[in-house]
Amino acid sequence: MMRVWSSEHVFSHPWDTVIKAAMRKYPNPMNPCVVGVDVLERSVDAQGRLHSLRLLSTEWGLPGLVRAVLGTGRTMTYVQERSVVDPAEKRMELCSTNLTLTNVVSVSERLVYTPHPENAGRTVLTQEAVITVRGIGLGSHLEGLMVSTIASNAKKGWAAIEWIIENPERAVS
Amino acid sequence: MTSESAAAAAAAAAMNSVGEACTDMKREYDQCFNRWFAEKFLKGDGSGDPCTDLFKRYQQCVQKAIKEKEIPIEGLEFMGHGKEKPESSS
Repeated sequence: MMRVWSSEHVFSHPWDTVIKAAMRKYPNPMNPCVVGVDVLERSVDAQGRLHSLRLLSTEWGLPGLVRAVLGTGRTMTYVQERSVVDPAEKRMELCSTNLTLTNVVSVSERLVYTPHPENAGRTVLTQEAVITVRGIGLGSHLEGLMVSTIASNAKKGWAAIEWIIENPERAVS
Repeated sequence: MTSESAAAAAAAAAMNSVGEACTDMKREYDQCFNRWFAEKFLKGDGSGDPCTDLFKRYQQCVQKAIKEKEIPIEGLEFMGHGKEKPESSS
């Protein structure tokens, strides 16, 4: 069982500003669940693009009932994020997938930041998520929960980028 | 905001590493990287990464933490798995 969610958001800041904030997104007050960020690999390719592989540690604080149903006592989940930044083309793409609870649900997200085609002072973020719930029974309810969680997290993510842009001295990660 | 409270806020707000022992190395590397990224890389000068030594030390620490916590990272060479998927432990 699979569900797809997508959206587009425009930031009123130029691409360079948004990308610098995106690279230093955590910590921020909108995503308190992300408690750890690590860079596992990083390199610049022959075309001058920066490739990074990062590990995000998240504490969802899942409600007890959800944890009981998922059959896990573990509260820490891990997400793997690959990104490519092309400074010449002005394009940043990120792909993330969960590494834990994969026997229950897979969430893959893709984010692409590009300058607004009509206004260099703005940046477009297109975002999509694919949610695949494994097994039967819990399926559509969990999917629905995941979709609304992703949608609300996306809004928090946009607010987080804005916060980082406006609070550069507070953003240290 | 006074400079002490700004520093305290920054320290309190800073991010941790998956390996508790790696957090200081991570923060040092991140500072180096963020500076290079903003001042060199985005301006078209992607050569000469000044952070490689910091990164190596930080990496060694993180690799150890990932193994200890058995986090299933896909396709990472240092895990010794190459292209094969590790057994899922979750």
